[in-house]
Amino acid sequence: MASTFKTFVSDDIANTRTLLHEAIPITGSIVNGVTYDETTPATTNIKTYGHGMFQSVYDYPYQSSSANHIFDMTFGHDALITTQGTYDNNINDLVSESTANLMPTSSADIDKNALFSKRKNIYGQMAQVLVGHDVNGEIRKFDIDGDLTAGDKYNALIFFNFSRLLGKDELKKGTFSLKLNTTADDALDTEHIFITDAGAGSDYRTNSPAGEFAVLKATSGSAADTANGIKAARNNANCGLIFYQAGVVAITPEVFNKFEAYVETPTSAEHGIGFLHTSDCDMNTSSEKMYTVMATRTNDELSLAVRKRIKNISFSNTTELNSTIYFCRVAHNDFNYSSNPTYLENSKVRVKNKSTDAPVSYITTVGLYSARNEMLAVAKLSEPLRKDPTNDMTLRVRLDY
Amino acid sequence: MAFLDNSGDIILDAVLTDTGRKRLAQGDGSFKIVKFALGDDEIDYGLFNKSHASGSAYYDLEIMQTPVLEAFTNNTSSLKHKLMSMPQTNLLYLPVIKLDDVSQPAASFSSNSLLFTEILASTAGNGVYFLPADDATRDELLNDDAKVKGVLGTNPVKHIQAVQGQDTDEISFTRDIGSELRETQYIVSVDNRLAKVVKATSNDEPAAVSYIDDDQVATYYFSITDAAYIKTFSKVSEKNVVIDGPLGSMIKFNLFRSEEIETSTSLFNELGGGSGSVMTISNINYLYIDTNVRITGATTGSSIDIPIRVMKKN
Repeated sequence: MASTFKTFVSDDIANTRTLLHEAIPITGSIVNGVTYDETTPATTNIKTYGHGMFQSVYDYPYQSSSANHIFDMTFGHDALITTQGTYDNNINDLVSESTANLMPTSSADIDKNALFSKRKNIYGQMAQVLVGHDVNGEIRKFDIDGDLTAGDKYNALIFFNFSRLLGKDELKKGTFSLKLNTTADDALDTEHIFITDAGAGSDYRTNSPAGEFAVLKATSGSAADTANGIKAARNNANCGLIFYQAGVVAITPEVFNKFEAYVETPTSAEHGIGFLHTSDCDMNTSSEKMYTVMATRTNDELSLAVRKRIKNISFSNTTELNSTIYFCRVAHNDFNYSSNPTYLENSKVRVKNKSTDAPVSYITTVGLYSARNEMLAVAKLSEPLRKDPTNDMTLRVRLDY
Repeated sequence: MAFLDNSGDIILDAVLTDTGRKRLAQGDGSFKIVKFALGDDEIDYGLFNKSHASGSAYYDLEIMQTPVLEAFTNNTSSLKHKLMSMPQTNLLYLPVIKLDDVSQPAASFSSNSLLFTEILASTAGNGVYFLPADDATRDELLNDDAKVKGVLGTNPVKHIQAVQGQDTDEISFTRDIGSELRETQYIVSVDNRLAKVVKATSNDEPAAVSYIDDDQVATYYFSITDAAYIKTFSKVSEKNVVIDGPLGSMIKFNLFRSEEIETSTSLFNELGGGSGSVMTISNINYLYIDTNVRITGATTGSSIDIPIRVMKKN
């Protein structure tokens, strides 16, 4: 009997998993305000919010329908550092520092209290999601070497939350690179620092509730990057964390600070864990240092200060494709005739002169059907395939999910 | 839809159809692929040149150069014509499905039925059928003896009737078409917003819908066990009015208005142009929607689209 369908048998369907990687380069000009006016909504790539909790960075003026969301930037302080009273030059170590009393000093200092409260909330939120809770239900702090149970912690962090559009299922380990301008004067661009997760492909942690993460290192870059700003002693030092499935990068603000040998009680000029070999960066046109900007400026101003120093960001993302492959096996005596109206002329098969001629058909489309004959998927060949009784073929149709 | 790049290796561009995505989203196991079919929608076999001077290798030169479109995600737009598997390779004549718009079925137009009617070729083109959307429209069409054929007197109202067989004089109509070529299952597709399929002579026995897809196209299956819809032939002694050769089978059914088109003009505005695009018969304006009913042979894959004009007195 004639038939137009062929039923799959169990051997005709196979499942497979494929990891697809895309290289994502983000040039600094997209994020640092060089090619657009930060203050004009119609032209800026940066979307700000009334709540001031974070900024969103787009690859095109965000009001355009062509714009794609790239990442969000936000900042967090640990609860300790928001304690009323002191805020040291050393952002990551809370110490008594009388000459740099930049924290809100009284409950009447509403704006500053509100700002620091927001950053405290951000830190808590990100820590809760990315590093979780200890056995007592307390939110853990971000750890400098990834050992959540002990060791030094980050008390302040700059967060880059990459959009799903770029990060896809996860960032690919060992591919992240962030190049920062670390020249003392932000108007100049003579020294750089590179933040990477080099080696993370085989050296990462899994004890985060958000999946896998690795420690970011500050480096001087490749041999070609001669204009590096990192202190030699800090080369390959831990400077942040990268969470691959979450698509979040957290770096310490100390990468903008001058290196000073660690002392238990530093003076105002001593930074326990700074990275730069010459001097602190001037983060804005007012020549303010990173700790000053963090302590006195809004998140939007702080974000601008950091973005202006971004030279480029690059990483590869990963998309996990789960595929089902349908092997459409067409035997020599299958599908040699067509129901195409042009196939017949007065019921006579057009491709034949006499009955003994071999029937011929041309395949352009493969339809995959349910038991109720609903077409659930369709595949098109890029060119017609000739089918006649002298040939057989297997068409592999792969559906990715 | 763009064409697929055919400059290099043969590639296969696969997508889920809208129905496939819907079934997947339902999460009830209805997304299960169990079979496949092959199609050749882009191919014009009229380009097959059997008398090419350079020989048989050149017969399909033009066909093989046919560019192929990207896949449509609309499930009803792809694979309109399927390839057929038949064990015999020596078939020179294949059956077709033809609309029987010549014979007069025995059905009569009762006062409480709203079966579609045929319009004169001079008014709306041969083979276009009218489906009155309500009683007023039906009565107006019935009374219009001058314009509408098949409603009054000598031309009783028809049902849809399609005949399958080998439409050629080369084979005697008295021969049995054979079980290989006889169509035993038909698939009828109708826009469910406009009409439902009923028996040829009755509007109170709707056929069972197999499924309704995301585009509101209802699909009905009929097999030879549905004697009210399908009739098979073996050897016949009288030549059919539309098929010249051996007959395989015949399907007949009728359409009945949907409640939506009976009680509202919204679909006429949405799908038919509304009052800005009316059809006038004897100074009476009718809103209308043009649609198709598709009959497909489930065995042989041959198909026919029957144009329907849904009418509503404005």
